[in-house]
Amino acid sequence: MSAEYRKMILSGNEAVALGAWQAGCRFAAAYPGTPSSEILPALQQCRARLGGDLYAEWSVNEKVALEVAVGASLAGARSLVAMKHVGLNVAADPFFTLAYTGVEAGLVVVTADDPGMHSSQNEQDNRYYASHAHVPLLEPSDSQEACDFTRLAIEMSEACDLPVLLRLTTRVAHSRTVVEFEAAQSTRAPTGAPVNPAKYVMLPGYAKGRRATLEARIEAAGEWGLREDITREVAGEGPVGFIASGMGYQHVREVLPEAPVLKLGMPYPLPAERVREFAARLNRVIVVEELEPFLLERVLAAGLAVEGLPSELRVGELTPMRLAAGLAAMGVEVGERWHRSVAEPMGGLPPRPPVLCPGCAHRYVFTALARHKVFVAGDIGCYTLAALPPLCGMHTCLAMGAGISQAHGIAKAMEGKQSVVAVIGDSTFTHAGLPALLNAIYNHSNMTVLVLDNRSTAMTGGQDHPGTGLTLSGEASAPFDFAAVARAMGVESVHEAAVGDHAGIDEALARAIAFEGPSLVVVTGPCPLRYGALAAPYTVDPEECIACNECLRLGCPAISVPGDSDGKPAIDEALCTGCGLCAKTCPVGAISQREGGEAGG
Amino acid sequence: MADDILIAGIGGQGVVTAGDLVAHAALAGGYQVKKAEVHGMSQRGGSVVSHVRISDSGAIYSPMIPDGAATWLVALEMLEGLRWLWMLAPTGRAIVDDRRVPPTSVILGGPSYPADPAGPLAERGCILCATEIATAEGAPRAVNTVLLGALSVCLNLPLEAWRRALEECIRPKHLDVNRRLFEAGQDLARRTAANLLTG
Ligand code: SF4
Ligand code: SF4
Repeated sequence: MSAEYRKMILSGNEAVALGAWQAGCRFAAAYPGTPSSEILPALQQCRARLGGDLYAEWSVNEKVALEVAVGASLAGARSLVAMKHVGLNVAADPFFTLAYTGVEAGLVVVTADDPGMHSSQNEQDNRYYASHAHVPLLEPSDSQEACDFTRLAIEMSEACDLPVLLRLTTRVAHSRTVVEFEAAQSTRAPTGAPVNPAKYVMLPGYAKGRRATLEARIEAAGEWGLREDITREVAGEGPVGFIASGMGYQHVREVLPEAPVLKLGMPYPLPAERVREFAARLNRVIVVEELEPFLLERVLAAGLAVEGLPSELRVGELTPMRLAAGLAAMGVEVGERWHRSVAEPMGGLPPRPPVLCPGCAHRYVFTALARHKVFVAGDIGCYTLAALPPLCGMHTCLAMGAGISQAHGIAKAMEGKQSVVAVIGDSTFTHAGLPALLNAIYNHSNMTVLVLDNRSTAMTGGQDHPGTGLTLSGEASAPFDFAAVARAMGVESVHEAAVGDHAGIDEALARAIAFEGPSLVVVTGPCPLRYGALAAPYTVDPEECIACNECLRLGCPAISVPGDSDGKPAIDEALCTGCGLCAKTCPVGAISQREGGEAGG
Repeated sequence: MADDILIAGIGGQGVVTAGDLVAHAALAGGYQVKKAEVHGMSQRGGSVVSHVRISDSGAIYSPMIPDGAATWLVALEMLEGLRWLWMLAPTGRAIVDDRRVPPTSVILGGPSYPADPAGPLAERGCILCATEIATAEGAPRAVNTVLLGALSVCLNLPLEAWRRALEECIRPKHLDVNRRLFEAGQDLARRTAANLLTG
């Protein structure tokens, strides 16, 4: 392919895909998770627009995705695997030992961290995985670097016989900045998996050998960190210099554009020589980073007298303003612009947290569960929003698949004195629910699993999974049958109902909860956001309405009480999807559909 | 010229697309651009903002607009306009749709929706009937395009750049109606929002 330079505005995720494409990545696997979900679809777009060979799949979870990519790398295909930060916890088992075996073809593991927890259950700092597992870490600070570092990561991986961890954060993954790139791809055809037990069979005897070589391999990776395109010094003036990586670099340049900065594209292994040389020329050096003091600890361990940011900045997302305030508190002169008094946000405004979408008929199950007065062990997905008012229908949310195990633990501890239902989505069930259910069955649990099947990994944008019957590339695949699998696994009390069939759901729940032993209910109804099920909007007849507020308790954002209506609800027709759920809930039949059509439920 | 544009609204209203349009127009106009937003959970009917920073002079580093430094606030709903008003620089201006969408907290009898949201917003810019215009054109989901038409009158970007941005960001089957709504927004700003232009 002839060299052709292009300039585009890309998100960090799109840029990662582009860099992987340039490096000849022909194999990619992921489980969707914000803020990483767009990487695989973007890689498919690269292939469609720019050519080349690519196989990409949604794997059922991050551990499987990593192992699949490891297999592809073993066969000689350059590979990428992507996940959100907590996904690497799931993939941690193969990740650590992968550093021992190393790779055949280049393999980049992308982790997308979420400082500030915009869409996550914690804000763990995955840079520690790199040092813990002895895997080199690259950390881009904008889309250009996301592209270039991904390409470098695949090359470095292959050259150093190690996987490379590429760490994004929400503000890198989901910001759009300009990328200039060459539309050219290197190629490396898969040559077949070699039989090399000393390298790939991690029995203790072989593993000891690989552990010994790991030190030399990570040291060789450290040489890459000396490169000017990875570690870059920005000359500047002023008494204070900064060491920064990732988004911290952009923020410190925003606050102090004239200051000297050593930008580390590879925080691990630390390019200690470059850091020492930089620090030696300055009176005062401050390490700027988001979340944990990862860089600070490493620079201090190298014996250099540097300072970190005030510890309160380790909690939550770093912003230019927070950084400026933190630096000012350390006595750094930050300039007029950052001392201006900024207006306080207006007080007393009603908050607008995320809610279950209008038209999501799955919300009914939470009102049904409330009648049974059960403890609801929850899970991760859009249905977690049912934990918020008005439904308040979920009492835990810990980790993918954890609801089923938690429910089993509660049931055992309470010896039948507390009824427990585990609520889990379809995608989450295939991700980590299966082994938890097997465990519950095996150990004679007495609890109910309620699978809310909306035929989609909805929270992350509506991706496919084994239950939808489609793969990432749109190929048909036998849809995973939750009820049949549960029966085959030995659950005796299995029930199915469709959303909208409230009598059916009520009966299924009543029978499942009353059953002595593990039971399972599947409630199926496609996600209206993904499948676009739109019907004519509903409307409230104020003549009929008795202002009982039953419909409001569904928490549908389309229903509200206008100030001038004697407490009677009204429906916003622009938001209503016509699911008909409120009409079924109204005790006096005051809600009806506008014109023609049936309720879509 | 450098502008920091904050676009605020409710998840699902097209805040992210509006930000993309501004970013593409700026790039087509030869500007440097950075844009930040979040996807995922907050998009489920929650409060959403997109930061777009453009400049044809100095470099842009952080993709996030510093607190109290936005030169423009484009809000697709009045409560969301109020929520982010503090981000405006002292000379910044707001362009706000006159739509009210009470959040669940209000629906459930929590804090009430501000009684006069228009007051403080109008003081800092103008309130436009963008929903009405978009609905009349049969495209209630394209309110963002009307507001961007109004914004385009205030920014220094060539019209050609906006045309290209619409082509790049809007699906072909919706392009015509979006072009019309963009022009309607321009008209509306020119006719009714003199205070934006004199800022
Ligand atoms: S029919 Fe009722 S519950 Fe369904 S989206 Fe419309 S207002 Fe909400
Ligand atoms: S459920 Fe029916 S009667 Fe009760 S407030 Fe809603 S519309 Fe009125």
